[in-house]
Amino acid sequence: MAVIEVTDLRKSYAGLTVLDGVSFSVEEGEIFGILGPNGTGKTTTVECVEGLRRPDSGSIRVLGLDPVKDARKVRERIGVQLQQTQLPENIKVWEALDLYASFYADPRDWRELLEEWGLADKRDARFGKLSGGQQQRLFIALALVGNPRVAFLDELTTGLDPQARRTTWELVKKVRASGVTVVLVSHFMDEVEELCDRVAVFDRGKVVAIDTPAGLVGGEHRMRFTLMTEDASGQGDTAGLEDLPEVIGVSREGRRVVVTGRGDFATAVTAHLARNHILVSDLRIDKRTLDDAFAALTGRSFE
Amino acid sequence: MMKLAVVETRLLTREPGALFSLLIPLFILVVFGSSIEPGDTVLLPMALAIAVGMVGLYLLPTTLATYRERGILRRLSATPVRPGNLLVVQLLLQLILAVTACGLLLAVAGTVLGARLPTGVASAALVFLLGTASMFAIGLLIAALAPNGRAANGIGVLLYFPMAYLAGLMQPKDQMPAMVARIGEYTPLGAFGQSLREVWAGGAPSPLLLGVLAAYALVVSLTAAKLFRWE
Repeated sequence: MAVIEVTDLRKSYAGLTVLDGVSFSVEEGEIFGILGPNGTGKTTTVECVEGLRRPDSGSIRVLGLDPVKDARKVRERIGVQLQQTQLPENIKVWEALDLYASFYADPRDWRELLEEWGLADKRDARFGKLSGGQQQRLFIALALVGNPRVAFLDELTTGLDPQARRTTWELVKKVRASGVTVVLVSHFMDEVEELCDRVAVFDRGKVVAIDTPAGLVGGEHRMRFTLMTEDASGQGDTAGLEDLPEVIGVSREGRRVVVTGRGDFATAVTAHLARNHILVSDLRIDKRTLDDAFAALTGRSFE
Repeated sequence: MMKLAVVETRLLTREPGALFSLLIPLFILVVFGSSIEPGDTVLLPMALAIAVGMVGLYLLPTTLATYRERGILRRLSATPVRPGNLLVVQLLLQLILAVTACGLLLAVAGTVLGARLPTGVASAALVFLLGTASMFAIGLLIAALAPNGRAANGIGVLLYFPMAYLAGLMQPKDQMPAMVARIGEYTPLGAFGQSLREVWAGGAPSPLLLGVLAAYALVVSLTAAKLFRWE
């Protein structure tokens, strides 16, 4: 079942087109990524879905409801972590959770969230005294305190150190495991590759692709190596590589060989070389990444 | 809504600014209070006007503009609760703070200093209400226009001193140029101070000044409502 359906969303500010026909749908129980460089309409799109902004045209359904007409009902069922929001400096962690829980008809027990998100020992700490990672965990806990069906997390690991990012990722997986659909806005490729079931790639106010991270990256990888021995026949050493099912193509220039393939082709190629006692050096595998996929889709590099 | 009020009250008590708006007028009252003659009708109204002015022009706009700057109002719009509730709670709290500040001044002045208290309780309450409304309206306008909390604070200070001067809160009115004193009477703080003095002198406040206060409250708050941005 689609939890969110967005069709042909358009919005412009002062003549500048921000959203140029955005469509996608989010299925129940998945982590859906919204990926793109800054300023490509990701946040605007999500804020339209949350009912914080009105699109100029297009339709949005969240759990079958219109986020503008049925604003209250939608807000009751979604949880939101916004980019660049703070809490009052002097509010205590437990007060914030207790307060936000009181906004919802059927909230979660915030004491549980305090434990889950590792904030139990910061219960009485003031917001202003928390570290960046702790503040971020509190924001996510606040997004979940209303017991939402869908949680929107916007750039949740920006400004966190690598260790804190890893921890946050594990927690987001736990959120999905608890049955909450997650919409994750991010400009980090690694984050999206690690977490998302499906990704919508944004560029200049448009969705240029929707697929799984693996599907976006595509099958094709490249492997390069140099033959250590000169063979008389010229092609003999690499003959048979083309016949491997995982290999797409082989090109050769003197002793330098480039093999393209998909999936686990590297293992098949090295096994073939070993079987035929072919010695190689300078072996390198270029895996395509989401960065490459983005460049291929948009004709420009990510940042 | 109740919980919001409780939490906001706690936050207000953790705000040093709130304590200042209680203590500064009290300090002025006590320092000058030792030298007043019994039956003085100037000092206490002045302290009251300063107290209400501080809450309305400093504390209210700074709090609201900071809430907007920090995205707190925006975050609230993503919950089932409307951010307008926070505004209402803040207005009520600041009103309570202004009442508390004035109550404290009256209590200290009435007991320790033996100052004169007005006999016309109803007209005193009416003046307080209209004066506070016009001060809060200006505070709301500052909150609507200021890009952030610090700017709101700055605008508050910038407005407060000329307004306090024109209102005759910084020096006795008879030492001010007649023209300035006359104009000052029609500024919000001036009309408020003058009405208070009239009540303290035992008379009824001039309907013209009450009308001026009501007009300020209405026009300025409508303008503020029109200009207010949630983010």
